Amino acid sequence: MQVFIAQIINGLSLGSIYVLLATGFNLLLLVALIIHFSYPVVVVFSMYIVWVVLNATGNNLLLGILAGVLSSIILNVVSAPIFQKVMKKRGEVDINSTMVVSMGMGFIITDILSHSFNHGFPIAFPENLTGSEPLFRIGLISVQVGQVWSLAIGAIAVSAFFVLLYKTRAGRAFRAIAEDPAGARLVGIPIVKTGIQSYALSGVMGGMSAILIAMLLHSASPGLGDMLAHKVLAVSIVAGLGNLVGGLVVGLALGVIEALIQGYAAGSWSNAIAFVVMLVVILWKPKGLFGIKV
Amino acid sequence: MSLSIYYFLSITAVNILMTWAIYLPYRVAHLHFITIANMAISGYLAGYLVMTLKFPFFWALLIGFAVGGLIGYLVSLFIGDAPTFAVVIVGFTFIYITRTVIENIPAIGGTMGMFGLPNIAKTPAGHRNLIIVILYGLVLLVGFLIYRFDNSRLGKAASAIFVDKDLATSLGVDIKKLGQLLQVFSCIVAGGTGVLYGFIYRSFHPDFFTFHLVGIYMTTMFVGGYSTLWGSLLMAPILYGLPLLFPKEIQSWRMVIYGVILILVLVLKPEGFITRRLVYNIGIRLSHKREKI
Amino acid sequence: MQNEKTATTAPEGALLKVENLSVSYGHINALKSVSIEVFLGEIVVLIGANGAGKTTLLSSILGITPSQSGTISFDGQRIDKEPVDKIVRKGVCLVPEGRGVFASMTVMDNLLLGAHHNLKNKDKYLKRVFEWFPILEQRKNQVAKTLSGGERQMLAIGRALMSEPKLILVDEPSLGLAPIVVNEIFTILQMLNKEGYTILLSEQNTFKALKVAHRGYVLETGKVTLSGTAQQLLNDPGVKAAYLGA
Repeated sequence: MQVFIAQIINGLSLGSIYVLLATGFNLLLLVALIIHFSYPVVVVFSMYIVWVVLNATGNNLLLGILAGVLSSIILNVVSAPIFQKVMKKRGEVDINSTMVVSMGMGFIITDILSHSFNHGFPIAFPENLTGSEPLFRIGLISVQVGQVWSLAIGAIAVSAFFVLLYKTRAGRAFRAIAEDPAGARLVGIPIVKTGIQSYALSGVMGGMSAILIAMLLHSASPGLGDMLAHKVLAVSIVAGLGNLVGGLVVGLALGVIEALIQGYAAGSWSNAIAFVVMLVVILWKPKGLFGIKV
Repeated sequence: MSLSIYYFLSITAVNILMTWAIYLPYRVAHLHFITIANMAISGYLAGYLVMTLKFPFFWALLIGFAVGGLIGYLVSLFIGDAPTFAVVIVGFTFIYITRTVIENIPAIGGTMGMFGLPNIAKTPAGHRNLIIVILYGLVLLVGFLIYRFDNSRLGKAASAIFVDKDLATSLGVDIKKLGQLLQVFSCIVAGGTGVLYGFIYRSFHPDFFTFHLVGIYMTTMFVGGYSTLWGSLLMAPILYGLPLLFPKEIQSWRMVIYGVILILVLVLKPEGFITRRLVYNIGIRLSHKREKI
Repeated sequence: MQNEKTATTAPEGALLKVENLSVSYGHINALKSVSIEVFLGEIVVLIGANGAGKTTLLSSILGITPSQSGTISFDGQRIDKEPVDKIVRKGVCLVPEGRGVFASMTVMDNLLLGAHHNLKNKDKYLKRVFEWFPILEQRKNQVAKTLSGGERQMLAIGRALMSEPKLILVDEPSLGLAPIVVNEIFTILQMLNKEGYTILLSEQNTFKALKVAHRGYVLETGKVTLSGTAQQLLNDPGVKAAYLGA
């Protein structure tokens, strides 16, 4: 029973990261009208920036966190013109070509990470970010302080996002574009400018995710981005692309399922089981459990 | 034939075949990366059959084709008409699962890989020649089939689906059947190519079949041009060969180079270098010449 | 008569002036050298069959559909190369065909979207819209897809009013509405006009439209074939035969 509770906590904190990433991904899909497949790869790049800044400043947490969030915002906003350009060339919203461009960005970032940082070896984050003492421990399974923090911050961040979406002027414009881009343009919402705002906002969420992942996993490797990209897209598809509430449910569910499998099944197979579950759902319902909202 | 030329020729052929395996389903806007998992599954299976169960190579190769097609068919029952992103994620999931499974089966070498596959001819040189012959025979065959397909009624239906699914449906095109056909064919090609891929090096390793293959094949297709089969044919040797001429330090940045080229081409020449219009114009010019003669 | 009156109050010329506008979609010429004028305080109606180019004309005035040649000026300034949101800021707005409201958003959200660029005055305009359409105030927290067709049309008009417009483009307001609701909508448009809003209307319900309008243009396959005061058009034998069913 204790194992179960511990793994539920672990799973929820992992799931809250999937939720944050899936929400940022869906925001870009709904408002900027792109499939930014490699959005989680950009997030992992920000983790590396945090690591570099922490190393350079003698583990100054504030500077590290700031660098993570800022780098994520900048990387997102800088990529906006490229996506705009590709979309314009095809005349209309073209989900395929933005996805391919995003994959190209992913190849570049992953290759840079495996060449230029720590000789391509995984990086480890210092204890003052991750917390040193486990909160409690049962056999091999423990709940870390960082996990509880990341769960709390993740919950706050997601709630703040929904408040922003439903209570502010920018959020209203986001929802209008998400429902009907042509109609939103017609009532005078600046589509490109609002799109850039969504890049920035998903950058903020990506930056926060970068910190939370560091707190949760204590480490990062060049391959982490591809892995997360795959899971986030899978979460979004299983939920139904562009379905924010669905992403919330499925993201948390995936985290819990993974944690439970890790708690009860042999280690090396745990990822495969989670993937098989996702595969079955996608094959069964290619349009997602909660319906596509694009 | 020197070893470096052998590797260049054989890997180029593999890249051509695999890019075509991506190209075919992309005719109906599906990026079907399950092909890369197919390479691994058929390759490892054939390797196991030949190494452990002493199957003759050609039987193993045939089984490789068949298993690729079978998996492609089973999956296509579900995603024959799915949206692109669903197809992409199914492919990636297959790649991950395949890798995990392979790494956890000691009988096929696990994380160590499978080494010491036998020569398929009497001598190593004969082995290399035979591999090249089979590979390019396959390129000719698959190329011919794709050429016939592109110029057929079905090819035009595929183009209609690419442009507008709903319109194509209203014109009476069976989207799912056509999607399935293309997915199955590309999986057959990928299965056989996977077997040959391993026999080029006479070994298999889980690291052969990772995301860098997605990058290579996708870049080759989009840079060459996704609307004709000629783009992949032309671009595969160039994209694989050119980096080989540069120093080792630059070669190790291959994926960065591919990524940059891919993005540049999508921004500047979204249809790639060889467009259908270009092929059409060349065709007209050639037929004019023939008439003059 | 209306024409002369506005001409004296606005010596600069028309509030909206479209000159030799041509628009094509690929090989199809949707508009061929169309020229129209709308003066301050007028209701002008565009008459024509489906596909005559009425919607294209309205959407190119708002900047949604790019034009190949010709000019559009509003309030004395060229607007034909401006982006849509700038044109909306200048005081042009469109009530789209099919009552294009955001169905999954609340009535209040829809109205506030209309005021996206001048939110600081939103309370003033909300009060006025709710005076015009009390039903919208009752339903302000309902999702728009729960409204009836007529209520949605009111919401679309209300949303347009929120943007502080000088010129309201109204595209086929009567489409798919019951006759009694159509009358109500036209009465509302007339009252808005009396309040000082200039209106450019596209309408297939020719008789009712000409009854409320001051002037009109007849569009046929992308060309203006006839123009005049509403009374002249109502009496024109060609208009009678083609559009009034007489």
